[in-house]
This record gives sequence, structure tokens and C-alpha cells, in this order.
Amino acid sequence: MATLQLNDIVKDFAGTQVIKGVDLEVKDREFVVFVGPSGCGKSTLLRMIAGLESVSSGDILIDGQRMNEVGPAERGLAMVFQSYALYPHMTVEDNMGFSLRLAGVDKEQRRQKVLEAARILQLENLLERKPKALSGGQRQRVAIGRAIVRNPSIFLFDEPLSNLDAALRVQMRIELARLHEELDATMIYVTHDQIEAMTMADKIVVLQGGIVEQVGSPMALYHHPRNRFVAGFIGSPKMNFTDVEVHDVAPQGVLVRLPGGGESRIPVDGNGCQAGDIATLGIRPEHLVLDDNGPLTGEIVVIERLGGVTSLYVQCFGEEWILVTDGEVSHRVRDSVRFGFAPTRAHLFAEDGLALPHLERHPLVNVERKENRAATS
Amino acid sequence: MTPAKRWLPFTLKIALLTLLLLWTLVPILWMVLSSFKPNSIITANTPRLLFTPTLEHYATLFSGGNSLWPYLTNSLLIAGTSTLIAVVLGCMAGFGLSRIRIKGKQHLAFWIISTRMAPIAAVIVPLYLLFRYLYLLDTHIGLIVAYLSFNLPFAIWLMTAFFDDLPPDLEEAAMIDGATKFQAFRLVVLPLMTPGLVTTAILCFIFAWNDYAFAQTFSGPGTQTIPIAAAQLLTQTGIDWGKLLAIGTIVVCPMAIAGLLVKRWLVKGLTLGAVK
Repeated sequence: MATLQLNDIVKDFAGTQVIKGVDLEVKDREFVVFVGPSGCGKSTLLRMIAGLESVSSGDILIDGQRMNEVGPAERGLAMVFQSYALYPHMTVEDNMGFSLRLAGVDKEQRRQKVLEAARILQLENLLERKPKALSGGQRQRVAIGRAIVRNPSIFLFDEPLSNLDAALRVQMRIELARLHEELDATMIYVTHDQIEAMTMADKIVVLQGGIVEQVGSPMALYHHPRNRFVAGFIGSPKMNFTDVEVHDVAPQGVLVRLPGGGESRIPVDGNGCQAGDIATLGIRPEHLVLDDNGPLTGEIVVIERLGGVTSLYVQCFGEEWILVTDGEVSHRVRDSVRFGFAPTRAHLFAEDGLALPHLERHPLVNVERKENRAATS
Repeated sequence: MTPAKRWLPFTLKIALLTLLLLWTLVPILWMVLSSFKPNSIITANTPRLLFTPTLEHYATLFSGGNSLWPYLTNSLLIAGTSTLIAVVLGCMAGFGLSRIRIKGKQHLAFWIISTRMAPIAAVIVPLYLLFRYLYLLDTHIGLIVAYLSFNLPFAIWLMTAFFDDLPPDLEEAAMIDGATKFQAFRLVVLPLMTPGLVTTAILCFIFAWNDYAFAQTFSGPGTQTIPIAAAQLLTQTGIDWGKLLAIGTIVVCPMAIAGLLVKRWLVKGLTLGAVK
């Protein structure tokens, strides 16, 4: 069990900064997910925490101890690699017990610990097999087992599910969440998949271009994205964006002119904004509703029916909007539709891309994931 | 495809393979076969397939004043030692070269292999002069160094390719598991390198085992290798075909047997990177 602190971490690869000053605090027993597009530096950051990459400047502290010059073996961490990195010439048991063997633990004790981890992960029957005789999901479990056996202070996961098929990924996601509960350990998880981030994290760290764009709970990121990048990255399908002109700034919100001429007052703090400014309006597809009196109108170009929900791609004044509606809508391609939104659900971004803060916080933002789960289970 | 259409490429393939096998195997088989023939029929105008085999050539090779034993020991010692050193150093250098992150790495790698590209004839005189100054002529060490000068760059280059093929994740996982860099190399990387090590060793050994030019130039009475012994049978008064064929067989057979024994790894090693 441990805490982790990153102070102004920089990573320089031959003159190119890939991590540009990251500050972060990970609390004991927290499940933190680093998420971002390819090349954002999330894996590099994880490898720096693991000790596999040197730190160009800044400090890494584990339980308050500076770790910059400490080798990976002495940091007391365990890591699950994207490729699993199982030792191909060793059996599952030897793979899982390798760290204990290096630590000089005697054979009997080693077996005991391996069996215990194997029981948690249901690997008891596979202990004698070599990795090549295992399926992808089983390999994944062995890699996790190897981490558990080490009894680390922090678990690190580097895109561990990206090589699995969709169904298995969902299953492993649930297993990992359960494992976090059972082991009650600090975990740091890297992924480019925002669904993994949303479903597993206590805290999400959104990275782009080596910079932390936002840190917060999944619901905070969803309902109160700090900027346009986070708003577009979190949520699927992506948030709709359109440029709008600010008409009026008042204490109760900012009045904007919508495409097609309608107006809407978005309840955000317009401090620093003035009439005539161009801002970006962002509305999530699931927050747009078909409404015969709605301020927006357009023609459907594509319909994606998923059964439970249907996505409508609507051409609206030169821009494509996505609406997620319920699965029962009977519209067809080339139908004309009117739609609208609740202003409290809309986001407004200033010209520099930063979000204008909502006047009211969403009620779910401060609900911790664990409390949430306790209430539903 | 109709059966006829399927049948045709198959027969063609078999025919080509048979031709290739005849091309490569017949001379070797003929050599092995003839080494058991009495002198009188070895050079008979009509080649004979049926004869009473004799071991007389082998017996004379290993007896008398100019026995083959010292040559064989020299060959084994020199080729074996130079191979061992080339593989050990090549393995470590290859690992370093594969894993290090420095600017111009590919130039360094190319420079190393480029030293292997010089023809033997080009280096033999400078090496002779150097060896004379260093008193390495007619010494085992001299020949070992000479073979190393060609085998080491080759071994480094080949091993680098093998290490490039091995994901660094494995060593990193071992290091996170508590291994030192050397433990990660010894316990995780090295056992997975068997195909690479075997391939490199065999190819290095073949070079040293078969070499004539270096051995002819640098060896003296005490350090001559088997190819020199074979050459000595070509005298002004004639060629001792029986003994020559027996030596040829002795040179070829160990390599062929070793090749068959490690075939599994050799195929894996030589087709490295071919299938992803």
C-alpha cells in the first residue's frame, strides 16, 4: 500500500520533450488511469514511475521517498505489460514465482504464494503449462498473477487489455476492478480506451502531448471537462462542437446565437467573455433530443441502429451533428429533423479552448466510485 | 483446380528438388564412397559402385610419421576456441548494440559488419606483418585471432539481429521482478537465445574449420590444421587420392552431423524475422 507523488516530471528524448512537467498525486489504494491518444506520453510516464526510463528533471516520490535514482527492482512495484512479457521458457508457476526466486524465497514458500495468487485468478490447473500453450486471456491472468505474487506497493498496468478481443476485454475489465477491491492496492493503469478509463478509475489523468490536460473523477471529466480536448476525448460518440457568437453575458449565463438563428442561454460563468466574441458550443450526442420545436434542424445522412440506442448523423448548417436517441425512432436517411438540448447540459469553450465553468456542479461529480458501487450492489 | 493441374506443379517441385539434391549430394557421397575404395579402383576409368570396402586410407592417415591427429587437434582447438570467443563476445556486444539508445547506432553496426566485408586476400599480408612483430606466427593464438577478426564482427551483427527480435519487455519485466541487469540477461534473455547462439556458433565454426588461406600463411609445423594436411597430399610426384578423400570425409562429416543435430535451432535461426 503506497502513495505516489510526481513533482514537475520532465522527460527529454534527444532534445525532444515528451513529458513536459507533470505534477500528480496518487493516494493510497487509489485506482488511477492515465488516458490519452497515441504518443501523448502516458506509457513513458508509467515507465518512469517503474524505473525503466530515467527522469530528465523533477522528482518521483513513493511513500514520500525520492525514487529517481532507485532501480526498478528496489522500487517495490509490479508491472503488467501490454505484451504480457511472460518468460516463454518457464512454466506458469515459474513465471509467477520468478520474483520470489530472485528474492531467495525457499521453494515451499514460493509454491504457497504462487498457489494463492493462482487461486485468486483461477489459474490452478495451468501451473505446469508454458505460456505458448495458453490463450490470450490466460496469459493476461498469468501476467497479473506474477504481479500479485510480488505483493507490490503499487501495481502498474500498461494497456494490459489491448491485445484481447472485445468480449474478453469487458470480462477482464470487470475482473480487474474486482481485483482492485480484493487486493485493496494502489493501481496505475494506462490505456487509450476511454471506456476502460471511465469504468475502472477512481481518478482519470488525461494526457496530451506530454501535458496533463485534466485530473479528476470520471464524472467530473464527463460533466465538467476543463477544455475542448478533454470534452472531445471523454465520451463516446464524441461531443458535437460548433462555433457560436456570444450575444450577451449576464450573471445567469451566456446568451449565444445558434446556427440557423436560434438563441440559447448557457448557464456558465461568462467572466472574461463579451458580446461579439466567438465561442465553441459543445453538446454530447446523448444530450441532444429530437424536438419538433427545437432550435436546430438538419437532414439525416446516416443512421446507426444499435438496438437499445440509435445514432443519427445529421447535417445541420454545414456541420455534421451526432444524436444518440432511443432505439425506437423510426426515422430514415434523408428525413428532416428538428432537435434541441437542455442548456444546463451544454458546454461553452472560450477561444483559447478552456471551458467556461458551469454555474452549478453536477450532483454526481463528487460521488466516489466505491460509494457508487456500494450503493448499487 | 483439376487433379491434373494440381499434379503438375507437384511433380515439377519434386523434379527440381531431386535435381538440387543430386547436384549437392552426389559429389559428397562420391567422396565418402571413394574414401573406402582400394587405391586401384579409385581412379578407374569406369566408376565402380560395387567393391569391397577398405579402411586402409583412414588407417594410414592416423598412423606413421605424419599422422593426422595433430592436425585434427589443432583444427578443433583453433576453430573451437575462436568460435567460443566470437560467440561469447558477439553475444554481449550484440545485446549492448541492440538495446543501447545512441545517435548513429546503425552507422556503428554497419561499421562493425563492414570489417567483415574485406576479402581475406586484402588483410592477409598486413596481418602477417603484425603477427610477425607480435611473435604470433606458428601459434594457436595467432590463428585464433585471425579467425576472430572475421568471425567477431559477423557474430556481433548476427546476434544483434537476434536480440532485436526479442522484445525488451522481457528483460524489463525481469528487472521489475527484482533482477539485476545481468540476472535478467542470464536468466531470461540467454535461454531464449539458443537458436541465435547455435546458428552463430555453427557459422563461425564452419569458417574457421574450413579455412585454408589463413592457416597456410600463419601456421607453422606445430599449428597446421586439417585443410593444410589435405593440401600436403598434392605433391609433385602425384596425388594420394585415397588419403585425400578420407581427409575430405573427416572434414565434412562432423559438420554435417552437427548440422543435423541442431537443425531445429538452425532453421529457426536462419529464418529469423522471416515470419512475423
